[in-house]
Amino acid sequence: MTTRLKATKKSKAKGAKPRSTRAAMSVATSDKETVKARVAAMAEVPLAVCESDKDLQSMLSVLRDQAQPIEVRLAALQSLQAATFSVVAFESCRSDYIATLRKVATDPDLEMRQRVLGILAREKDGFAQRKLLDGLENPDKALVPPEKALQLLSYDIHAEAYPVARKIVNNPPNEDAKLEALRLLAADAKSAPVFEKLLRDKNEAAEIRQVSAAALQGLKPEKLQENAREILLDDSDYDEIKATSLTALTQFGDKDQVDKDAALKKHVNRISTKGGAKVKRTARQFISKYGR
Amino acid sequence: MNVELQINNTINSQARFLSWAPSSCRIRVTNPSGAITPTVTIRLSSTSAATGGAVVFRNGTTGAFSNTLTLTVPINGTSVPFFVAGKFGRPSSSNADVRIDARLGTLLVGSVKVMVRIRKNANDLTPAERDRLISAFAQLNNQGAGRFADFRDMHTNVTSPQAHGAPGFLPWHRAYLLDLERELQNIDPTVALPYWRFDQASPSIFTLDFFGVSNSVGTVQFSPTNPLQFWRTDGVPGINRRPFFATNTAPPGLRTEAQTLALGNAYPAFRTLEGNPHGSAHTSFGGFISSIGTAARDPLFFLLHCNVDRLWAKWQRQFGRFNPAVAASFDGAANPVGHNLTDTMWPWNGITTPPRPPTAPGGSLAASPCVSAPGPQPRVSQSLDYQGTVNAVSRLGFDYDDVPFS
Amino acid sequence: MAGEVTETDFASLVSELAADPNRRHELIKLLREDNELYNQRGAATTTRMRGWVLHNLSLTGLTDDALIFVLEELDTGTDPYLVAAAARALRGYTRPTPALAPFVMRALTHIRYRNEPVSFESYGEYGDGDDDTTPVQELLITLRWLGAYAQPVLSELEQLRARPERLSRTLLASIDEAIEAIASEESVDNYSCCSLPLGLKDRFSWTSNSRRSCEPVESVIFEDHNNDLITFRDFFQGQPSIVVFFYTRCDNPLKCSLSITKLARIQDSLLEHGLADKINTAAITYDPEFDLPERIRGYGQNRGLQLNSGHRMLRTRDGIDSIRKHFRLGVNFIESLVNRHRVEVYILDSNGKIASVFERIHWNEQQVVERAIEILHEESGNNSQASNKRNAAASTMGTLASLAIAFFPKCPICWAAYLSVFGIAGLDRIPYAPWLQPVLALIMLINLGSVWLRSRATHRMLSFYFAVGGVAVILISKLSHGWEKFAICGVLLTLAGSVLSALGTSKKRQPGQETRTSLFFDLLRRDGFTRTNDRTTKTAA
Repeated sequence: MTTRLKATKKSKAKGAKPRSTRAAMSVATSDKETVKARVAAMAEVPLAVCESDKDLQSMLSVLRDQAQPIEVRLAALQSLQAATFSVVAFESCRSDYIATLRKVATDPDLEMRQRVLGILAREKDGFAQRKLLDGLENPDKALVPPEKALQLLSYDIHAEAYPVARKIVNNPPNEDAKLEALRLLAADAKSAPVFEKLLRDKNEAAEIRQVSAAALQGLKPEKLQENAREILLDDSDYDEIKATSLTALTQFGDKDQVDKDAALKKHVNRISTKGGAKVKRTARQFISKYGR
Repeated sequence: MNVELQINNTINSQARFLSWAPSSCRIRVTNPSGAITPTVTIRLSSTSAATGGAVVFRNGTTGAFSNTLTLTVPINGTSVPFFVAGKFGRPSSSNADVRIDARLGTLLVGSVKVMVRIRKNANDLTPAERDRLISAFAQLNNQGAGRFADFRDMHTNVTSPQAHGAPGFLPWHRAYLLDLERELQNIDPTVALPYWRFDQASPSIFTLDFFGVSNSVGTVQFSPTNPLQFWRTDGVPGINRRPFFATNTAPPGLRTEAQTLALGNAYPAFRTLEGNPHGSAHTSFGGFISSIGTAARDPLFFLLHCNVDRLWAKWQRQFGRFNPAVAASFDGAANPVGHNLTDTMWPWNGITTPPRPPTAPGGSLAASPCVSAPGPQPRVSQSLDYQGTVNAVSRLGFDYDDVPFS
Repeated sequence: MAGEVTETDFASLVSELAADPNRRHELIKLLREDNELYNQRGAATTTRMRGWVLHNLSLTGLTDDALIFVLEELDTGTDPYLVAAAARALRGYTRPTPALAPFVMRALTHIRYRNEPVSFESYGEYGDGDDDTTPVQELLITLRWLGAYAQPVLSELEQLRARPERLSRTLLASIDEAIEAIASEESVDNYSCCSLPLGLKDRFSWTSNSRRSCEPVESVIFEDHNNDLITFRDFFQGQPSIVVFFYTRCDNPLKCSLSITKLARIQDSLLEHGLADKINTAAITYDPEFDLPERIRGYGQNRGLQLNSGHRMLRTRDGIDSIRKHFRLGVNFIESLVNRHRVEVYILDSNGKIASVFERIHWNEQQVVERAIEILHEESGNNSQASNKRNAAASTMGTLASLAIAFFPKCPICWAAYLSVFGIAGLDRIPYAPWLQPVLALIMLINLGSVWLRSRATHRMLSFYFAVGGVAVILISKLSHGWEKFAICGVLLTLAGSVLSALGTSKKRQPGQETRTSLFFDLLRRDGFTRTNDRTTKTAA
């Protein structure tokens, strides 16, 4: 043990050549090593798993094995996921990897489930989508919190998440869930009126109004411009949303229309010296583009 | 008496950008009034703003650089060549913050303002540099409707064999970053792509005013003043990114720069950085950046890869690996299509027959007013000599703040 | 509606249909994207449903009608479950031919880096273990099944085998088996007309005649890439058009992105032919609410489309449902988003009517251009035919007039004698009309003029000479005493001239006359085993 620890310390010395992947692999998959040593070794082997079927199966086995320390299992997952970037080299591994991920998607550990379902969801995996949707519709089957499920479902705009997202917007279990539901609904062009309403609702949280602005900008840019203008001219509205509105107009506004809007420019000029810090900053950016 | 200074051999003001590698320039007399001899002696020097860049000069393609340069220039209008480069360690922080002066004795007869435009550590950018970068990114994205969609489409599951898992990994990504950077420069020419030094703590990157702060779900949040709040890809607004580390520290488990440079002095060994630190940096997060098919949806991806490219540049300098004709500079074994030195690279080559992907988004590689390389359809080999060390014409027009000209 | 039919119900329906030999053909209806059962289903659900139908086709046997759906999945599919199901289904086809091999190989190229376990044990099951299969495995088995018919792709397969480090041991064994099966069997002819997969008839699933009862779409309003409004009538009537359907959020690069890229190449080809102002092109989005003008413009331009008044990207302002029904678009939706669509390109004639359609399998740009040019020329020919008909009518009238002139009586007594000779009841009531003769003479001269014009147009003057001769003889016979009996010769000469003039056009091929043979040759050319879609000006790798 002492000899192995010394060797590990040596290998970490500045500029020293890393140990061979064979050695790292051996440490990574060995129950006799410490968690720390194994996690460090896992980080060294991403490409090795593609070179040897035996190494691949060893890593997958560690990932599946609930008796292994969770840190080691997560490190194995990270290492395997890093290997997927060498897509050509990973070709022979992918099928077994996906099979393992599906098995581990219902792992007792929440962090493991979140990461695995995240990887699968980014592949638009129907298995993962079905699990996530089931969990939203039946909370006792939920594998991850609703906000996480919605976020993961948003990876595929063709998923069937829209009805449940609408329900959550109307009756959110928490603010994060509402936010994620709104982000998901931003892919649905018919939701534009919802975003317009939320944007103008001063009782809504700043983040909700901000995501509504971003959603409306993508779905109905002319509506956002119209609303942004009204928000700016409304002295009773909040600085955060005014700053968002100014940013939208500066970056994406219809230049001809804004150029002709003397009332708006005059107002922005005024708030560039009288508003809060964020408003002043964005007002100055607006002025540098459109003039006073 | 007046002289004209042509930076990068042109009077085009869009070309007044320098890097550490020398730029070919010219000077000529445009108004010889007062001259009584066929030639005049002009002295070139520079003046820098307080936090501005600095430049150095030399006569020819070899030799030492100096802070000034004296040239004999005919009054008949014939151009005289010279070279100017950014002074290593003194990059510009804003546009035109260095002035090159031409004097005849004490008389100022010509001047031109330039910028030493260098890829820097993103953690060290000034607020102004940061704001220009994110504004350019947001404009390129244009809430999902802009040219950024092409860059996103270049890096998907379907297209990934063109750029990963084989020797062309580094050249391809170098060309990819260059293309993106030039598109950003079409929006704001003062922008240079910075790098995320992932083996060091970079707390200034993960802020509301820059690349955002992830909430507990892994959705990135931005300040209301940040134009990235309107970022949209694949029809969905926002960025999913959940760091598995505290962002005021470096991600654990990544090879350090020293360890990466020590992977080996020949390319086949060096390119294993694709696994670690490259792959490990990607998977230090959950979210877009952690899967190959979605990674390019997160603008942080480009800063990550800029660092990977910087590591390659450093390794090249350390071992003198700029020349494609030197075996150790590349992996010359029979490689898949797109990964051999003489292969053109997709998508810029427009080839859509198998084994290439079925479409080629984005067209040719963007041109630069400063340099002619690598051309619209670059070959793998053209990514290597990025500073023009072997052949000045090969210079690609970018440099890193901590990798000098060789 | 989808909500009323659960996936379990659907699976039961499929099993029921598959089990009944008299109803198996209804399985094909379940593969149409616009089937109501797919409405408001997500893409993953649609995949499960379609894959299950394909799997059942593999059990019941693949008919000719269903073949196109299987080939479609192999041609442009990127989902592992569907590709695996299609590979299995193909093995249920009774007549393997070499033409199937490129589809299998193409699917292998597309899916190899997205290989994953799939299961067909029961509906909706996802692979997660050793007992499952994979799309790559299924494709290799299908190549083995093709045996000698897969010889055209043998070298590709051998190239795959040449990089063993990338492939698992299981797959290496499957590749070896496939190679052995292909190489060991006796060669078959690369192509044999008798082995054509008849199932491709769905490629031209209907002709323009069957669209008569469709909802008219002439007044549907589009907004183009520049925010300009234009009706269907104003854009699509007046000259032929090539129309592609797409949407910007399509995540299958083998479908919309490729279709628009190919449309750009079609535009290049039309320019080369000098026909860019005679044949329009249009790309219409399935997703008009999201695909705003700026979005579609960027999408098209980034893929090389040239946009102007004759070449536009369009979204409907209203009337998307009418367009869907009119074209019988192969698409369905979850909310306003497409959940699945087929590749489809239409050629409209200058009346805006659908004249040709290419669907499901990716089309060859040159083939589409050639067909559009044919339609353009047919329309010019039809215009000629119409004028020919007018000429023929005029010729007939002129001939009859000549006949009448020749035999017109000189006086009322002769008129009565004529009528009595014929003894036609009632004709004797026709009064003698002296004005009739000059009218008939005028008609005869008009005919002569018509024949002259026609002769000039077709460069066939013989018909004119006959007609002139005929008129001359008739006039001489009427004006000269004793030459009356030659009048009939004049009539015959006039008749001959008129007939020659009326027959002075060449025959053209009628629409819809493409044979399966020519279609298949086109497919072979596309794949053939040439497999070239690239722009020839680019540097090769």
